[in-house]
Amino acid sequence: MALRILSKSFFAQRLLATQKTSVGFRFYATKKYTSSHEWIEINKDIATIGITNYAQNALGDVVYVEVPEVGARVEFDETVGVVESVKSTSDIYTPLTGEITAANKSVVANTKLINKSPEADGWLFKVKFENQEEVDALLDEADYKKLTEEDD
Amino acid sequence: MLADSLILLEHSPVYTNGRRNHGALSADEIARLQKLGCDYVETNRGGEITFHGPGQLVAYPNMYLKDHFLGTKCYVKGLEHTIVESCARLGIDADIVDGFPGVWVSQTQKVAALGTHVQKYVTSHGFALNCTTDMKWFSEIVPCGLQGKSATSLARILAKQGRADVDASTNAVLPTVIDSFKAVFGCDVLPLEMVSPETYDTIKQLVQ
Repeated sequence: MALRILSKSFFAQRLLATQKTSVGFRFYATKKYTSSHEWIEINKDIATIGITNYAQNALGDVVYVEVPEVGARVEFDETVGVVESVKSTSDIYTPLTGEITAANKSVVANTKLINKSPEADGWLFKVKFENQEEVDALLDEADYKKLTEEDD
Repeated sequence: MLADSLILLEHSPVYTNGRRNHGALSADEIARLQKLGCDYVETNRGGEITFHGPGQLVAYPNMYLKDHFLGTKCYVKGLEHTIVESCARLGIDADIVDGFPGVWVSQTQKVAALGTHVQKYVTSHGFALNCTTDMKWFSEIVPCGLQGKSATSLARILAKQGRADVDASTNAVLPTVIDSFKAVFGCDVLPLEMVSPETYDTIKQLVQ
């Protein structure tokens, strides 16, 4: 009995330690935005990209998603994917030039993720970007918030 | 400066399919449809397979949505309401059904289909309103991929109402659709030959 209680608390401490690490890790990632309602989370030279909560709300229920091929080289503003909602396809553009290092297959299989969790589990693709100037030109959170308030 | 445009036309018989169905039809199935005297074209629009042809009024609004303060969902609602309003002006009760884009006159009968594409806020494709369309074309496919639902036309609905004498041809319905579009989107619609005679002439030559 005593042994079980001990191992439970040991596990809880390990879990807490992992959580603390991952929270700390995320704290140092930078989040940027585009005027076409994409979010970009920068971590060293990898950017994770998806559409914002504002965008998913304007689209409606997403029923079909295309994401880019891993390994593809993409140029700034190139069409790299598609989302479909209310019988409308909307093109997704890459805000950064570079190589696609990952694409979210879960979202292709379960399109509702984009509506339920657009800025976390509903991420679309990751780019190993090459051009810091493109990153610097992205909007910060305050500017993006202002943009969405003006649009409403 | 490029203005928004609204193109209204009739197609020669053609089945078109949406982006998510690229490559979905087998070569045999495509050949079967073509033997009926139809083209088969895969497009970049949303939605699934549908028919376009004589007797059907097809509308292609080419709009910059930002100027109209519209997102995709609201734009599509606008197209649907344009058709609902057009039907109302013809004395036909039609409605929108949540989860089933298009315009319906009953639980199972659709009088207009829609499918659009939005690139950087610019719209393409649009909607198709069955005026006097021959419904036989729709029986060869599962329209919009919806089992248990079917297409109907204004002419059929008017006949059921005992108003078969009402002109439901695309030419007769066209002014009503334009007026409804203006009312729903709160904008003016001017004939192309007034705004740009050169573009009008070019299009006229292409159509011939």
